[in-house]
Amino acid sequence: MAYVATRGGERAIDQAERLFREDLGTIDAERVETIRTAMPYLVDRVMGEASFYSEELAALALAQTGGELSEAVLVLRAWRTTQPRIGIAATVQQEQLLTQRRISAAFKDIPGGQILGPTLDYSHRVLATDVLEGTPFVPPAVEPADTAAPAQQPSLAAWQRQLGLVAPLPEAAAAGAEIPDLTREPLLFPASRAHRLQSLARAETGGVLALGYAAMRGYGNAHPTVNELRLAEAEVMVRHPSGTPFSAGRIRVSQAEVTAKREYLDLGFAATFGWNEIKVIASATLDLNSAAAPVGSPVHEEFYLYHTESVEASGFCIHFKLPHYVTFQSALDAMRDAKAKKQTAAANLVAEREEEPVA
Amino acid sequence: MSLKTLTKPWAATSYGFLDASAKREMRRKILKAIAVPGCQMPYASREVPMARGWGTGGLQVTLTLVNPRSVVKVIDQGADDGVNAASIRRFISRVSQAEETWDTLAASIVQSRHRIPEETMTKDQILVLQVPNPEPLRGVEPNISIARQMHADADYGKLWLTLYEQLVKAGRIMQGAAYPSLVNGRHVMTPSPIPRWDVPKLNMARHLTILSAGREKRLFAVPPHTRVEPLVFSDRPYLVEDHARLVCERSGIAGYFMNEIPQDDGSSTFEVSDSNLGIKAIRASEGAPAEIGETWYRNGKFAQ
Repeated sequence: MAYVATRGGERAIDQAERLFREDLGTIDAERVETIRTAMPYLVDRVMGEASFYSEELAALALAQTGGELSEAVLVLRAWRTTQPRIGIAATVQQEQLLTQRRISAAFKDIPGGQILGPTLDYSHRVLATDVLEGTPFVPPAVEPADTAAPAQQPSLAAWQRQLGLVAPLPEAAAAGAEIPDLTREPLLFPASRAHRLQSLARAETGGVLALGYAAMRGYGNAHPTVNELRLAEAEVMVRHPSGTPFSAGRIRVSQAEVTAKREYLDLGFAATFGWNEIKVIASATLDLNSAAAPVGSPVHEEFYLYHTESVEASGFCIHFKLPHYVTFQSALDAMRDAKAKKQTAAANLVAEREEEPVA
Repeated sequence: MSLKTLTKPWAATSYGFLDASAKREMRRKILKAIAVPGCQMPYASREVPMARGWGTGGLQVTLTLVNPRSVVKVIDQGADDGVNAASIRRFISRVSQAEETWDTLAASIVQSRHRIPEETMTKDQILVLQVPNPEPLRGVEPNISIARQMHADADYGKLWLTLYEQLVKAGRIMQGAAYPSLVNGRHVMTPSPIPRWDVPKLNMARHLTILSAGREKRLFAVPPHTRVEPLVFSDRPYLVEDHARLVCERSGIAGYFMNEIPQDDGSSTFEVSDSNLGIKAIRASEGAPAEIGETWYRNGKFAQ
């Protein structure tokens, strides 16, 4: 059995995982709750990329992977895929969102108003090092406005559409069970718009940023203007078997509409679970650029949808750590043979030359 | 009759991990793939608790086929105890209660990455090959939509051209593993990155082979008794790796695909890549009972 003993892969993988887990220590409900409350934007990002809305489970995924984002998303998606679909929620309507932040760069002011809401946009990015010296950072209290912003806001695009600036909406959109579900069907090309937007919604933030930024810098054909950006909460309206609609809870969502001028104002759109502005602006830019994108360019849907799929991309990247010695051996064999053939051919050539009479 | 008698006890996941709707889709796509040999069938490809690119395509097929009476062998680079093979096999048996084996002869399902076992598989066995890139045209056409159209038109000219270019430049076809092969005279497929040594094992085989790429969401199949012909020019024969005369340093057997082990003195030794075949040979030499089955290659030559 010497042969077996010297290999011992099963024990090795066991112990390697133990090493990783030991470094993270005991994970309890308290640690999960701390992550959930202290890092809502990280939790949002993981929920978005996993396309699975559960702050608690996302925080757990972060806890048990030590914040290794790709791993956290994978573990959450693998959980998600085992869950039955017990119902389909009503489509979220923009004007019904409980909007906490809504801005447009296209106009100085818009119907419903610009609402800054919570943001670091205008903050000075200075580390609060006092915290480490023993002075906790206590956020100053927010002073309420004289008149609260309305909870719901009209859609800017709807107003633009009325004025004939934006192309009319296509015929009745699919609803409920008619909406194709990317998590249950393969992504084929040309992708349906539903599949494209679903794919962007679960795309890797860094991935869409890289390709969206490439488009913004000039590798795309349309320069985006943020028509409307929203951070909001949406009621998840489902129907009880008895027929009564009810809210199953609220989820945080982000939406971005970016625009470029052609015949009409073209709109690119993206939405995702959680609050993640970079992701939706970059994704909407990719959506905006898709229509006129040359095949093979970074703004062509097949290119950016495939390459921003976080679980696929990260998995394939790390798979190169797996042994490849069989394929390597196979290539080596062909290389050695080709080299030998060349040497034989060269030797034959020399021999032929030597046979020639010297003039 | 109570509700309890009508339902199963709660479990965190379904039998075999995948839920019923995922398995149904897999079965339909597998049947479709068998009906059109070598043609890539897109499927949803659910996430499984393993990273993409680590055998998730093969795993989804195996999880769909497996039942409590199955006997499952998993190999990576020919070895049963490769770390990832061990991880996959442990997962499969954990969620399906299927029996685990290292013995090709005992297995009802063999899931493999990069190798086909040396012992001949029979009609009661299924080979599941993990596929990183299902598209043989990827090298000449990275766009999937265009490649799909080329398959539809049986337009393989660019592929032939690359093989011809290799011949002209290097004096031989340089394709190592994953040698493009024509299935049933119609679709060119990649046999997955198995060495050229293994491709003839698929031709007119007695077993069913299912090839599945989880990350790329495509699966295809070679049904039993189906032609699988590597793309070669009529005056340039297909060349398998020159391993026929190599001898395994550990087990002493020869005439099979070998792993090369570089030595400190600059030389190389070899060990048989099908690790369990090596174990059987060692056991046999020690006088222990070990049945080595019929093999595809005999004395280093493919015997059909």
